[in-house]
Amino acid sequence: MHRLITILFLGLCSLSVSAHNVVGGVYAIGNQIEGEVGFSNGDMAAAGTLIKVTDAEGNELANIKTNDEGLFSYTATRRIDHLFFANLSSGHLLELTLPAAELPDSLPSESVTGVNLSPQTMEVVAPSVTSSGQKTLEQMVERAVAKQVIPLRKELAEYKEKASLQDVIGGIGYIFGLCGLGIWWRQRQLDKQSKG
Amino acid sequence: MHIVDGALAVPVLAVGAALTVAGVAIGLKKMDYDHLPQVGVLSAVFFIASYIHLPIGFSSVHLILNGLIGLALGWAAFPALLVALFLQAVFFGFGGFLVLGVNVVNIALPAVLVYYLCGKGISSSSPKVAAVWGAAGGAGAIVLTTVMVAFSLMLSGEAFLLAAKVTFLAHIPVMIVEGFVTAAAVLLIRKVKPEFLNIKESSEYA
Repeated sequence: MHRLITILFLGLCSLSVSAHNVVGGVYAIGNQIEGEVGFSNGDMAAAGTLIKVTDAEGNELANIKTNDEGLFSYTATRRIDHLFFANLSSGHLLELTLPAAELPDSLPSESVTGVNLSPQTMEVVAPSVTSSGQKTLEQMVERAVAKQVIPLRKELAEYKEKASLQDVIGGIGYIFGLCGLGIWWRQRQLDKQSKG
Repeated sequence: MHIVDGALAVPVLAVGAALTVAGVAIGLKKMDYDHLPQVGVLSAVFFIASYIHLPIGFSSVHLILNGLIGLALGWAAFPALLVALFLQAVFFGFGGFLVLGVNVVNIALPAVLVYYLCGKGISSSSPKVAAVWGAAGGAGAIVLTTVMVAFSLMLSGEAFLLAAKVTFLAHIPVMIVEGFVTAAAVLLIRKVKPEFLNIKESSEYA
């Protein structure tokens, strides 16, 4: 009986309790955008949570799903601002933005369709030995830098999310201050009444 | 429990804000100003309770304590929770400013209901009966709050049953913990400071 209760209790507790802030981040590695979404207590979003990708004007680009660890990835085809929306139910929404500036310069900034590919642009696209070598090098540098910077950015985001002791004490101070104001105001009313 | 900005439709936000204004007005009118320090202390308790995450199993929960606040304050729960929720939004980023009204109603209205439903029970002469009523109030306030959160989401377009189920299931551990905490708090306060729960000392000795 006791074991049953324990199992039941643990089972209930393993459900992610959603009374927390939603946190997340998106990072570009070359033209790959990787992101994560989860709750401020360390739980990640449930696998299969839908992430809507749009451009700055709200045009939908794709719908992607998170994996088991709350991570998702999207391959950018244009150098534009990417917006990511996640809805983790129970009123938990998250909007993440990846500015165009973080994507590689090699991506076109406008959509390129097959129709307006003139021979001239074809020439530019056609790879020559030197440019492709340079491109690989650029990509390598980008990837290496991203690898170093992403952990820092994650840590910074975590740090920003965490309220410090100052915040806690400050909040309590505000509440007591308000109480003091109330008592002072009340006292003044009583004084006025007793005088008048 | 804290709904964030952007999750709800404008009419829902407006109704929430209006109800909060009304509730706070009633609360300030009905509040016994000699009990102002109590209101402040419980407001501070709520402010902190959401910040402290208790690890249980693989996840963590945080207390909400709106049942206890309701039992102790009645209608004054509205101003107390408004202040606490506002400061949580400022300092911790919980919830948001546009959605503040809805969050206050979702948490304070169950507190007031619990005050009317269980207030008599906790002043029973038998400590056991009082503890059971306290537990019912603590857990009941969370149940009511989850239903109201789900209702706010439904009015903004989410499927009610789905939203209610998700929110309700996720808060079952909180309900259990709150039931125990509120019962224990009721028993303790009855002993050391019965007037805190509006219990006249005469009933203590009756």
